[in-house]
Amino acid sequence: MAQESTPLESKRKRIGGDLVIPLAAVAFTIYYFSTIIDSPWTAQVSAFFVGTILIVLIGILGVRSVIALKKGEADLGMETLLASRAYLSRRLGLLALTVGFIFVVDWAGFTLTTFVFLATAMLLLSEGRNRRFILFLSAMLALAGYLLFILAFETRFPAGPFENLMKQVL
Amino acid sequence: MAIPGTPTRRAFLKGSAAAAGAVGLASHPLAFALAETFPSRNINVYVPTREGGGADRNLRAFTSVWKKYLKVNFENAYFPGAAGRVGYEKYMGLAKPDCYDLLFGNMGPEVLNWVVKQPSFDLNDYFYFARVDEDPGVLFVNRDGPFKTIDDIVAEGKKRTLNVAVSRLAHPASLGALALAKHTGAQFNLIPLSGGRNTMAGVATKEADLGALPSGGVISRGKNFRIALMFTHDNPVPDRTDNAPTINAHFGTNLPSLVAGSRAFAIKREAVQNHPDRYKILTDTLKEVFTDPEYKVAVEKTKAPWELIKYGSPEACAQQAKDLMVLGEEYKALLTGQS
Amino acid sequence: MEFDPGLFVELFARTLSFWWVIIPAIFLGLVVGAIPGFSAANTIIILLPLTLAMDPEIGLIFMVALYASSRMGAGIPAILVNIPGTAGAAATPLDGYPMTKAGRGHQALAISFVSSTAGGLLTTILALLAMPWLSQVAYYLHSVEMIVVMLFGISLIASVAARDTLKGLIAGFFGLMIGAIGADVVYATPRGTFGFLELYDKVPLIPALVGLFAISEAFLVIEQRSIITKEGQALMAKAGWAETWEGVRIACSKWWHITWTSIIGLVIGVVPGAGASIASFVAYQQSRTYSKTPELYGTGHVEGLVAPESANNGVTSGTLIPLLVIGIPGGATAAIMLVVLQYHGVAIGPDLFLSNPNLAYGPFTAMAVTYALMILTIMPLARYMSKVTVVSTVYMTPVIISFTLVGAFVSREYVFDMYLALVFGVIGYIARKTGYHVAAILIGVILGPMLENYFLRALRMSQGDIMVLFSSTLGNILWVLLAFSIGLPYYLQYRRKRRRQATA
Repeated sequence: MAQESTPLESKRKRIGGDLVIPLAAVAFTIYYFSTIIDSPWTAQVSAFFVGTILIVLIGILGVRSVIALKKGEADLGMETLLASRAYLSRRLGLLALTVGFIFVVDWAGFTLTTFVFLATAMLLLSEGRNRRFILFLSAMLALAGYLLFILAFETRFPAGPFENLMKQVL
Repeated sequence: MAIPGTPTRRAFLKGSAAAAGAVGLASHPLAFALAETFPSRNINVYVPTREGGGADRNLRAFTSVWKKYLKVNFENAYFPGAAGRVGYEKYMGLAKPDCYDLLFGNMGPEVLNWVVKQPSFDLNDYFYFARVDEDPGVLFVNRDGPFKTIDDIVAEGKKRTLNVAVSRLAHPASLGALALAKHTGAQFNLIPLSGGRNTMAGVATKEADLGALPSGGVISRGKNFRIALMFTHDNPVPDRTDNAPTINAHFGTNLPSLVAGSRAFAIKREAVQNHPDRYKILTDTLKEVFTDPEYKVAVEKTKAPWELIKYGSPEACAQQAKDLMVLGEEYKALLTGQS
Repeated sequence: MEFDPGLFVELFARTLSFWWVIIPAIFLGLVVGAIPGFSAANTIIILLPLTLAMDPEIGLIFMVALYASSRMGAGIPAILVNIPGTAGAAATPLDGYPMTKAGRGHQALAISFVSSTAGGLLTTILALLAMPWLSQVAYYLHSVEMIVVMLFGISLIASVAARDTLKGLIAGFFGLMIGAIGADVVYATPRGTFGFLELYDKVPLIPALVGLFAISEAFLVIEQRSIITKEGQALMAKAGWAETWEGVRIACSKWWHITWTSIIGLVIGVVPGAGASIASFVAYQQSRTYSKTPELYGTGHVEGLVAPESANNGVTSGTLIPLLVIGIPGGATAAIMLVVLQYHGVAIGPDLFLSNPNLAYGPFTAMAVTYALMILTIMPLARYMSKVTVVSTVYMTPVIISFTLVGAFVSREYVFDMYLALVFGVIGYIARKTGYHVAAILIGVILGPMLENYFLRALRMSQGDIMVLFSSTLGNILWVLLAFSIGLPYYLQYRRKRRRQATA
């Protein structure tokens, strides 16, 4: 299956990034166990079974990593995760815009928020080029979304000024 | 889609748009001052179970007639999860106290939830204001299976443990099965299968020996299932239940009547305090539905027996909720697994 | 339920005369299927006022056509932009999307359309002919047997991440752990929900799906000009009708593969509550197990696309059998169909075949006609649809993100689900960047809760006796087959290695 592989200049493997998922998994498993500690056995049995295997597997990975570190074959660099720094700021910007979209959509409504999200995200990725086209495209897409999701399918997206205005007009 | 003789999607949308327009007007302060008509927009109904389930079926039949009296449509939103708990929490958290937001659920099993674990809200903040049916809890078997009568079941249950498919443990029908086991000495092992549909599937596929549910759904699949016992004090539909006996008459027990399906409308108490006039309109129009012949037609279309439809007042609902809580406390250890 | 050829010819002709209902339903189904979060079930619910007003026979034909075509529609974004619209299409991007990246999107679509149609058509006909026997399947596949069926799908976790099995297993078990979030099925006690009510009913699948696959991918592809590789772009630029027909030819040459994987779908579909996601993973796993080139799966291998697509369409016909024969719907869409039929006072059950054969056999003939009409209407569109993949990522990425957030929202209408999709997007992004397979996580999230459900049911029925897992003959046969299908790839690998050493 196509996986992202990051070419590394140095022969030492950067395994710091590889530990993020296992650490998150361990933290989550411990939290999960804490929520079922007083539950009836039916609520516990599969989670304890799966969680124990998961922790054992991560333990094996930990041992494997420590051996590699000791032998000097690897270090704790995070390059696999943070490589291509040129795109890091754009990626973080996009992430912030996405969080903003979800946060704002609750009161600004679907159509307006979608328009602003599409326009700003496209401008961010194009580094400010094709402004007029992007504004036009975002407006059209947001409008199409309104027609399809809210008018035709009557999805209960949060309504904002635009949706309320259209309600009065129609 | 141009299908002759049927309302098209476009017409449907136009209808909704017109209704929406009316809302826009009515919410204008001037229009408001001119006439306070209730309801001036669609009523929202929170349903704590899945679409296509027993409560949904009852609700659709009821609102298809009620909307005629209120002259607005009903918009149902479904919030299944955690035995109905999610739907109640959503209703209490999101619904506005303006009589436009109602809840429609199956009072029996949902009240038993509170025995297992208190919700995040105060139980006095909502109340059931109209019950639309009284659906007895029943024990049923597959028609192709080995059991013909309740005596066959009990006799077999004394020889080996029988698996009883139930919707969930905290359910009046499940309590009925437990009470029967306690009285007769038959061994019943309750298997919660999350919902009536799965429960019936469990009995239909013969994975479980028998099932315990409200009667409505089982009766509507009468070709597949035979009802063996009723947990209520009388059998309101003897002709469609193979004249199933009641538990008290057959075994000489003295158990309370276990109505397993008691679908009811609930409302926030604050809404009624804020708008007693609106609440009156709701309850007055609602009562008219029960005498409307159209409602009988709508119910019979769902294949559910009309005999189970019975109006229950807010007082009757409160009494039933209280009785269930008492019974639930008695079996609390079994319901929570903390025995 | 005797087979009467005359009746079927008559029914088929009669159904064909409803083309004016079927064709609009096909297009509607393709659109809603392609939008993540929408499905045939919630579309039928939205359209209930319309469907209830129709004559029951027309209403049923409409719903069936919508159901079948939405299944096919879900494959389109899964292949082109790595967004599976429903859990049933979750295995489709495993090989479909790599084909797109290689510039063969139009071909992948053609292959998917042919396998879906052929698989759907074949299983519909089989369902018609063998209904009395097929309906018996539900009497034999109980929870014990279903546990083994689930394990067939879950065993994929080890094989999808063949490059680093340890990391693959960690991803899979992490997925299983995430899948265990939610109230337990017996006592409804909340587990691992972080106090969110929205997680009581388990992790919703659509946000997990779109987050792990699409959002993580969207954050990755901004480094490239388009989602297609450079070589792929060259291939895409000169792609014409000939390449599309080549796709049709390739798919047709896999007729045997289509046949047996769609039958897997049909059989699993008959079991109430099982559904398309498990069927497509099991079909994919089986296809890989018996393949001569298992290492090619996941890189854009034709059979890896054919298997889930034929299987999930096989499920479509399967779910109708328990609905019509025992009156118990096999899945969500079938449950809504039941509501409509009951509204019209149609009594479902074995008697329907005698009292109203038009209605009883109608869904199957409608499905067959739908598949036949669908392939004619959709095939010409494959080339044009695939053009979407050459659009610059500057425009595509924001559109994919907003589109998937919409999808995450619509299935339950919770804003919370959009945040959840984003969280899964971040998990997916980190996983991809650090060599953990997202498909392994997803298989855990999707199949984990189903497995737990069947497992607890079996344990409760046996009153805690774990040996119940080996208590049925069919179950034991399945266990042996499972062991065989897990062991076989290792044996084949060993034999190949030996042979290579011998020749060297």
